[in-house]
Amino acid sequence: MSTLLKVEGIDVFYGPAQALWGVSFEVAKGQLVSLVGTNGAGKTTTLRAICGLIEAKAGRIAWDGREISGLPVHEIMDLGVSLVPEGRQLFPKMTVEENLTIGSYLRRTKANRNRNLDWVYELFPRLSERRRQLAETMSGGEQQMLAIGRALMQEPKFLILDEPSLGLSPVLVQDIFRIIKDFHDRGLTTLLVEQNVSQTLQLVDYAYVIENGRIIMEGKGRDLADNPKVKEAYLGF
Amino acid sequence: MLTLLPQAIIDGLLLGGIYLTVSIGFSLAYGVLHIIDFAVGEWIMLGAFLGLYLTAWTGWDAMLFLPAVFVVFAVVGWFTQPLIQRVTSGAKGRPVLMALVFTFGLALTFRGAAQTVFGIFTHSLPTELAAGSWYWELGPFMMTVPLVRLAGLVYALAITVGLTYLLKRTDLGLAIRAVAQHKDAAGLMGVNIQRTNAVVYSLYVGISAMTGVFIGAIISLNSGMGPDLSLFAFFVVVLAGMGYLPGVPWASFLLGLIQSFFLIFFNPSWTLLAVFTVLFLILLVSPTGLFRKGV
Repeated sequence: MSTLLKVEGIDVFYGPAQALWGVSFEVAKGQLVSLVGTNGAGKTTTLRAICGLIEAKAGRIAWDGREISGLPVHEIMDLGVSLVPEGRQLFPKMTVEENLTIGSYLRRTKANRNRNLDWVYELFPRLSERRRQLAETMSGGEQQMLAIGRALMQEPKFLILDEPSLGLSPVLVQDIFRIIKDFHDRGLTTLLVEQNVSQTLQLVDYAYVIENGRIIMEGKGRDLADNPKVKEAYLGF
Repeated sequence: MLTLLPQAIIDGLLLGGIYLTVSIGFSLAYGVLHIIDFAVGEWIMLGAFLGLYLTAWTGWDAMLFLPAVFVVFAVVGWFTQPLIQRVTSGAKGRPVLMALVFTFGLALTFRGAAQTVFGIFTHSLPTELAAGSWYWELGPFMMTVPLVRLAGLVYALAITVGLTYLLKRTDLGLAIRAVAQHKDAAGLMGVNIQRTNAVVYSLYVGISAMTGVFIGAIISLNSGMGPDLSLFAFFVVVLAGMGYLPGVPWASFLLGLIQSFFLIFFNPSWTLLAVFTVLFLILLVSPTGLFRKGV
């Protein structure tokens, strides 16, 4: 399998405070990989660095063998990266349909806009019922569906999800995980960032554990789930 | 006195149209770029002077130069926005304050340069429309509509409709709204934020300059006209709710009507006092503007 995304030794700072220390990992084409860790471990920062929302002071990030560190966000997105950000980050004063429409803002997806809209509505019938509603007036679960739908409108080659289960009811969490697995089965390369460690490790091919801004462990999902240290720190055994 | 009522309403609406054109681009720029541009009145003044020189040079009607004035100043705005971007995105922060200081400096520079280059005399832009007016008598009521003022109102409404169409019906408009609502997320959608900001600023400067041509034709122009216009733009935008574009037409017409009623029915010299008292009272009750939708 060839590597789609390779992160090599990135350091990221917020002002004088260092948030990431030489973080390295890679995601192969078609793989479902997870980055797990507690709150504040550096998961979201890592994703922001990949997407170009924050600059890495050291190290490099390569997409399909090509260095992308330093590119503006919109160019990285045009490569086929899509982020479902933490806390959804929808456009609150836009309708559901407008939020989805702007998902196909990029020229490479514009031509397929109507087809993709139909497809997303088929995937999430709730969104179809609420297409004229403002995003800010929807429930947390519906907003998460909209955030995922919006990312799918971008026709991602690489889908990144930042804590998609956060704040959702257990039933909805199951739904979201089922959707992620479904897309993985269809061959979509995915990076899943979660605090919900036990469930995530059961689902993914490979996982990295991040703590205090450093990758401290990595392995196949099920192997990590059986690792005594992981069990103690994250699974509460 | 009552016989003047229709005229007061007409005057108020026509005046409101002028305020609308002064403030709509300004409101858009604030909503998207989050900068308060002190130079708004100066852009209007510069646009008016470009119109004046073009008409003096060619002898044509001022209205014919609207597109040219728009294009010239849209280009100027396009190249000015990156400067503001630089000033506001410094490592030390306080972007709002930096933008205020920068545009205030820009305003002073423009005004100073204009007073040196254009002089301090008051001019008026020649247009065929200035000569004409409509007049009716309906029983005891008499109404006059100067054509050039009517043209100003039509222009104001056309700009409003055009901007609304742009924002609601086009992909560029969707991108502009996305940047206004959530900058990071807009970038994640593939929107080129830098370019979108430049487009908005360039639209705003272009519209303001065109407005200068109308104000020069309707009222007059001189190199010191900027600060008053900036004041009215602030007034309207604060009343409408900072950054809330749909509130701008209502606030403009309200301002125009208050002014014309005071002018006709009370003491003309109290007009500005009345206007600012109304602003003060409304903000006291609702600090986020008429519709409680501002920032």
